[in-house]
Amino acid sequence: MTTPRVAGTLETLSRGVHAVPSLRQGIGFTLLLAMIGASGRVVVPVVIQQAIDHGLQRSIRGSAQTVDVALVVKMCLGAAIYLVIASIAQRTAVSRLGQRSESALFDLRVKLFQHIHQLSLEDHNDEQRGSLVARVTSDVETLSQFFSWGGLAFLLNGALMIIVAGVMLVYDWSLALLVILISAPLVYVLRRVQARLIAAYDGSRLANADLLGNTAELVTGAETLHAYSAGAIFGVRVKKSSKIRGDKQTKATLIGALLFPSGEIFGAIAVSAVVFVGLWRGSSSGLTAGALVGFIFLTYRFLEPIAELTEVLDQTQTAVSGMRRILGILSIPAGPPPAEFPIEIGDQPLDIKMNNVTFFYRPRDGEVRDENSAVLSRINCVIQFGTQVAVVGETGSGKTTLGRLLSRFSDPTSGMISIGGVPLNRIDNEALREMLVVVPQEPFLFSDTIAANLRFVLPQASDQILIDAFTNVDLQDWFETLPLGLDMLVGQRGSQLSAGERQLVALVRASLINPSILILDEATSSVDASTEVRLTRALDKLSRGRTTISIAHRLSTAARADRVLVLDSGLLVQDGSHDELVGAPGVYSEMYKSWESSHNTSD
Amino acid sequence: MHDHSSTSGRFRRATTLIRSLVTYHPGLFAISMAGAMVFAVCTVGSSWLLRWIIDEVIIRRFDTNTFSISQTLTAVGLLIGLSLIRACGVIVRRSFAGRAQWRTAQSLTDEVVDVLVKQPPQWHRRQSTGELLTRAGVDVEASVAVMAPLPYASSVILMMAIAAVGLISTDTALGLAATAVFPALIGLNVLYQRRVDKWFDIAQGELGLLSAAVHESFEGVTVVKAFGAENRETERLAIIASRVQNARVEAIRLRSLFEAALDFVPNVTNICLVVGGAFRVRSGDLSVGELASFIYMFTLLVFPLRLIGYALSEMPRSQAGFDRIQSLRRSPIFDDPRSLFTHGSSSLVLDSVSIGYDDTNILFRNVSISFSARSFTAIVGYTGSGKSTFVESLAGITPIFSGSVSTKDQLTSFVFQEPFLFGTSVRDNVCLGSNFSDEEVEWALRIAEADFVQGLPQGFDTIIGERGVGLSGGQRQRIALARAVIRRPSVLILDDTTSALDPNTEVKVLRNIKSGLPGSTVIAVASRPSLIGMADQIMFFDQGSIYGPTTHVELLIQNVSYRSLMQAYEEPQEFEDDSL
Ligand SMILES: Nc1ncnc2c1ncn2[C@@H]1O[C@H](COP(=O)(O)OP(=O)(O)O)[C@@H](O)[C@H]1O
Ligand SMILES: Nc1ncnc2c1ncn2[C@@H]1O[C@H](COP(=O)(O)OP(=O)(O)O)[C@@H](O)[C@H]1O
Ligand SMILES: [Mg+2]
Ligand SMILES: [Mg+2]
Repeated sequence: MTTPRVAGTLETLSRGVHAVPSLRQGIGFTLLLAMIGASGRVVVPVVIQQAIDHGLQRSIRGSAQTVDVALVVKMCLGAAIYLVIASIAQRTAVSRLGQRSESALFDLRVKLFQHIHQLSLEDHNDEQRGSLVARVTSDVETLSQFFSWGGLAFLLNGALMIIVAGVMLVYDWSLALLVILISAPLVYVLRRVQARLIAAYDGSRLANADLLGNTAELVTGAETLHAYSAGAIFGVRVKKSSKIRGDKQTKATLIGALLFPSGEIFGAIAVSAVVFVGLWRGSSSGLTAGALVGFIFLTYRFLEPIAELTEVLDQTQTAVSGMRRILGILSIPAGPPPAEFPIEIGDQPLDIKMNNVTFFYRPRDGEVRDENSAVLSRINCVIQFGTQVAVVGETGSGKTTLGRLLSRFSDPTSGMISIGGVPLNRIDNEALREMLVVVPQEPFLFSDTIAANLRFVLPQASDQILIDAFTNVDLQDWFETLPLGLDMLVGQRGSQLSAGERQLVALVRASLINPSILILDEATSSVDASTEVRLTRALDKLSRGRTTISIAHRLSTAARADRVLVLDSGLLVQDGSHDELVGAPGVYSEMYKSWESSHNTSD
Repeated sequence: MHDHSSTSGRFRRATTLIRSLVTYHPGLFAISMAGAMVFAVCTVGSSWLLRWIIDEVIIRRFDTNTFSISQTLTAVGLLIGLSLIRACGVIVRRSFAGRAQWRTAQSLTDEVVDVLVKQPPQWHRRQSTGELLTRAGVDVEASVAVMAPLPYASSVILMMAIAAVGLISTDTALGLAATAVFPALIGLNVLYQRRVDKWFDIAQGELGLLSAAVHESFEGVTVVKAFGAENRETERLAIIASRVQNARVEAIRLRSLFEAALDFVPNVTNICLVVGGAFRVRSGDLSVGELASFIYMFTLLVFPLRLIGYALSEMPRSQAGFDRIQSLRRSPIFDDPRSLFTHGSSSLVLDSVSIGYDDTNILFRNVSISFSARSFTAIVGYTGSGKSTFVESLAGITPIFSGSVSTKDQLTSFVFQEPFLFGTSVRDNVCLGSNFSDEEVEWALRIAEADFVQGLPQGFDTIIGERGVGLSGGQRQRIALARAVIRRPSVLILDDTTSALDPNTEVKVLRNIKSGLPGSTVIAVASRPSLIGMADQIMFFDQGSIYGPTTHVELLIQNVSYRSLMQAYEEPQEFEDDSL
């Protein structure tokens, strides 16, 4: 019935409920209240029918009518009292459902935050940022919309239909069966159309994510687009995806529009059948005019919820495809998987050991994984605790990737890395992060003050500690040039600072943790040489008794290190001290020669 | 209803909202309205038909006890026929309402996109990415959400009007009592909207904040991971999410009350009508049949009114979203700095220019420089000395404060210090939508020494991840360089764009540029002596002053600060030595 590719509505919903178990809490009582509330809507027509039948004696036209006003009033009073109770029950049910679902959606959001933060960088890179954000914002919103309207409609109307069906059966079971039999195929029709509706809504949500992704590029790349006057061209692309979204949504609403009146038409057929059979049977079977009229209105009452349900079916489908996308994200495993049974490192010296480490990135579309596409191949090396190591190599040789593996942003495809004798994947994440920090080339700063960016790593730090941190790395001169000091706002991604200044803040931030192992991935590439020298000298002082791995963009850094690792196309080709390597023929001495000549300003 | 002015203000805002939304695609909306009117007329018609069937067919059948097949078939045929017409009305109403809704969403998105494209970088730098995305996404969807139920709501109003006439003509007193419930329900709606608006506004606002915060948090995922701050970030975001939740729960409380009242009022009215009707029947003013159909007509008509709640419930959300889009659209478009550049005979001339970010943060004053054609200028300075700001001003990315800039032609290419790559193909990143031949793309990649592109699975048609995440820093820089040179600019400005390249490659790239673009004036922020050595002239930035352009040797002799910076570049070992 549904296309095999996508999970059906019910399956998605039940998986959704499974993912957010709090949704189920107290649902039984809410359902009961909803039943009582819905019964209020049936009570009134039934009482009215009874009142007219018994209180107002029907008579042959023209002759006198006997009216028992007292009976009518008594019955109506009873109905009014029941109505008050039912209204209170309904109110409570709606409010309970709403509060429960909002708190469940809150739980779901938190779960998503947590989960998305734990996804591997590769998964982050594969998903467009905009669509990841959409998962926790607009997709959860579709659920919220659903629970506050659609879910409620399902609850109340479902209850109503059951109650009305019961009353109808009591009234006249044969007519009741007739109505139910006629309405049954409607369920089939609805399910058929619904399958198409699901596909249409999935298409439109996909188009929506596309639109957001394209808009995100237009926004984040605004400077570049402006510099090359390409804004208009990219704007047209966004407009195109906006048009596609419009097309898909229009198509989905058209299917919805065709679906809606099917309830209407089935209703008309059911009522016609009741009229026809009722008239045909006449009073011989004990049917009265009043009873037939009453039954006709019960039939309308029975079908009315279907109209209301089709009214919210669009919304339901939007919510179901939103839920499906959320479940899709939740089903991506966290990467790298957290250590299940963490091992404490204890008093071991924090030596780093790499054993046959090989690494492949996830293949791009159309790429086959062969030996040559390994970004790192069979790296073997032991770094004693307290060593100053420089990693050098051409751009693209795999230096950053090595840093990512050491800091466990990814696990090696094969081989093993251990620190202090414990495999990386058995070290508790928090312990690892306190022990080892990487400072990247393009650091990320939050759009907040400098102080807030520093406190990101050390929430309780006092202002004095923060200021001292600048002094410790010999940056007090620069710090003093900031008019607002710690309270300076750095702007989006730190854009109010110069690129070099961003790197300085990131270094101060890392130095606050004082990790045992510090990895600097070209962390000072945009800093001028004079500041860099002062800074690294200060860092060296701080790093006595710490391992520092500097991925070096200036060979002067390598010259100062205890040990130099040379990478070439993912292979560790040379390993030794600067003095040993300069003398020996090989990649390093070539690099150093060209470096020396490049630092000679005379061309 | 005490605060009348605010109610009418709200009403005015609502009508303005609807009017503005409708003007985008009035035709589609009108067709949908026509469908809605057919639906309304048929709905009332079917209640009349039912009354006729009850009075003339059913009661007669049971009174006379004769079954007339022709009359029965007429009744059934009319019932089904009318419902078919009504169904068509519904299809037209819904499909065109949907079309109007999403075409309007498309128009709104296009308007937001136009603003995003027109606004220059200095505007973009002040905005939060997440918030701008909220405008184009959540806010657009919210704005148009009110449109779909609008035709339905109008048809309900038409139905009420017709029904009121019908009810009153059946029995004036009862009819007036029954119709009084319609305005009562609408009043209830208004009252509810007024109370609930505030919470919807809060929720929508918090949702915008949440979206921005989430965007930033995911964007900074490397930092979050690097410092093991996943849990802290989750907690921080959870606080914002809980504010969304709280506002929503308040709204739901109000709504549950409203929903219950919406059911309660017509039902109680119904009961009262029976009691009142009983008296009217006793006094002989009304027949039992008339009372019965009166009540049934009332029930049939009052229930669609419930659904009007769906329409009105979208109003506050739509209003909030639309208002925010409007304020984005109305924000003045900043001047494109380049549009203020004048035409001159020399390739690039600054005439007493002041450069900076705002009145309190002016980095350089009264700078006058002329860059002659085909010259190669290196810019050197300490971190934060204003090198990027200066070259961005030359390229018309950062506006200048005063003075004038003139260029011979507007053909300037600028490469940012941190290049931005789009999540499309390498070719698209180089061409940025302009038409360049394969040969030109290859040529540009060759100049930029980006030979690694050939090693990618589909060559320069390989799709690279968002922001070029699948590439190393130096690879990104070279693609950005190719993007600049393919345009054969008359002025090429490089903001330290070769920093991630090894010195060998860097020198090669600059030689390629010199030979491949012999006519271009090159201005490059330099962080390596090799590049400085290749330049014809040097500008040195130090503490708000610009020295030069002059030669390297001249600067070495005259400027102590320059000398010590150069020493740091050339003799790193010495520093190490004196630290020991
Ligand atoms: N996320 C990624 N997905 C696929 N390939 C990648 C990714 N990141 C880097 N690469 C590739 O891996 C190689 C090594 O990159 P990297 O470690 O960044 O080099 P380096 O830091 O030495 O300049 C490059 O060829 C680059 O294209
Ligand atoms: N968008 C901005 N708004 C305000 N100040 C800025 C902005 N961008 C940079 N600055 C400040 O201007 C100064 C110069 O920055 P920049 O030109 O990037 O220096 P650099 O010479 O390192 O390239 C720095 O002090 C920086 O903090
Ligand atoms: Mg790197
Ligand atoms: Mg700069």
